Amino acid sequence: MNIGSLGGDLLGLIPLGDIVLYINPFHLFMFVTMLIFTFLIAIGRTETQVETQFGTLDDKTKTVDLKEFRARRFLSVVCGIATAGAMITGDLYNLTLFMSLIGILNIGIISSVKQIDVLDSVFQYGLIAMMCSLPLFGGAALVLGACGTVSLLAIQSIKPTAMMIFGAILMFIGACGESGIAPFFASKAEMFRTPGSPFLLIVHLSSLFIIIRVIEVLLIICT
Amino acid sequence: MYNLMADILINVCLAFLFGSLLLGLHRKVMARVQLRPGPPLIQYLLHSLKFFFKESSWPKTISKPFYVAITVILCGIWVTGVIVGPVFKGSLMIIFGIYAVHKIVEHNSGSSSGSPYGKLSCVRAVFSASSELLLFASVALIYLLSHSMDIGAIINYQEINGPLIFKVPLLAIMFFTIIVTKAPYSPFSITTGKDIISGFETEHFGFLRGYIMLSESIMWYVLLWLFLCLFFGPISLLWILIGMIIITIITGFISAITPMLNPNHSVMIQFTIALICTVGTLIQIFV
Repeated sequence: MNIGSLGGDLLGLIPLGDIVLYINPFHLFMFVTMLIFTFLIAIGRTETQVETQFGTLDDKTKTVDLKEFRARRFLSVVCGIATAGAMITGDLYNLTLFMSLIGILNIGIISSVKQIDVLDSVFQYGLIAMMCSLPLFGGAALVLGACGTVSLLAIQSIKPTAMMIFGAILMFIGACGESGIAPFFASKAEMFRTPGSPFLLIVHLSSLFIIIRVIEVLLIICT
Repeated sequence: MYNLMADILINVCLAFLFGSLLLGLHRKVMARVQLRPGPPLIQYLLHSLKFFFKESSWPKTISKPFYVAITVILCGIWVTGVIVGPVFKGSLMIIFGIYAVHKIVEHNSGSSSGSPYGKLSCVRAVFSASSELLLFASVALIYLLSHSMDIGAIINYQEINGPLIFKVPLLAIMFFTIIVTKAPYSPFSITTGKDIISGFETEHFGFLRGYIMLSESIMWYVLLWLFLCLFFGPISLLWILIGMIIITIITGFISAITPMLNPNHSVMIQFTIALICTVGTLIQIFV
């Protein structure tokens, strides 16, 4: 296949031996969007979440305290940078590493809050993310074993074999679990009931962007 | 002499005008089905313009700068959608990315306001994204037939091999489900359900709401244009407009006669449609 037929014509290459980083309009769009959001998170403030109270006419407000804010902002910025890296990497193994890093950071961003129901859901998400790291790395290892390289530019010129397609399917299952899309969505959505809008944004954004990049990579492997 | 800037400006203006009128038609169809006269067709367009001259409000609870930036980002991504789609006929992957950012906007404009209604919409946006993204991702199956994600190349493929709607009708159903999902008052529009006032739009007034409405009309135009180009191939502008009107009328009927689903049912129905149609399409292509 021609790699330009997926995300547009190549804009540039960074050859690092076997691993070649490459960028096309699709990667550029995703990378720049990620950096814009990461910058906004770095300079952003959190909202005051207003909640209704049962039994009275009063409102209850929830805020993020300074210590929690600093920890979550740091993790969010790292998560943004990791996602931006995953958008432009031309290396299958780097992509899986970025993906698992994003999963860990997502857990970290939410686990610093002090709401039991939110902590419960992040625990459930953590279990799914950990379990799905096995098919994720296993799938990437199978692809490496089947075609002898992790460079996506090299893989695109190799005719797909049954083992490569099997590896790609495993990777897809791993990515679904790491990013918490359907049918793994139930625990992840509950994580968003806590205040800290900029930090929740990066948790959601990183998952969506990773899934899109994984679909591109799977098409490269399987066609 | 071809002027790219003029081409982009004309296309963005057309997208806004036609998108607004089509959304006006959508409301009209819904009203007539429900035996009401309904507002005039230009009502959505007038509403969008009106908000740019209204006073904006800034709740004490907002998260700055996201409360403002997120509406500008929404507008920016759909203008990019017009540039990648109707102007350049570029990569479908970029449109996929734009759709993902749209889901992020639904999520963040709800949570950044601090409003409990926005917050519920934010959580629902996570639910809906988990299935909508899968529906959109399945369109990547077009690649297995046309060997390209380039919209121009997919249109050329259909010129030689005939419209994709007859080859892979299940894929067309999936993409149509995405359009239904984005239609106002649709059974899947859980993020803007009236049980949570206006969802993520509740706290955005003045020019911020203007940006949201402008972006929604451009989005409607781009999604309909994509559907017609991806599944009917090279058709003239007149047929594209007729196609857009027909699809809008159909979605208007669906919205008028279908109650809104609860979030779990909405996700599971969309997920089921994506699963059945993906497996069916793979069988159609390979068997």
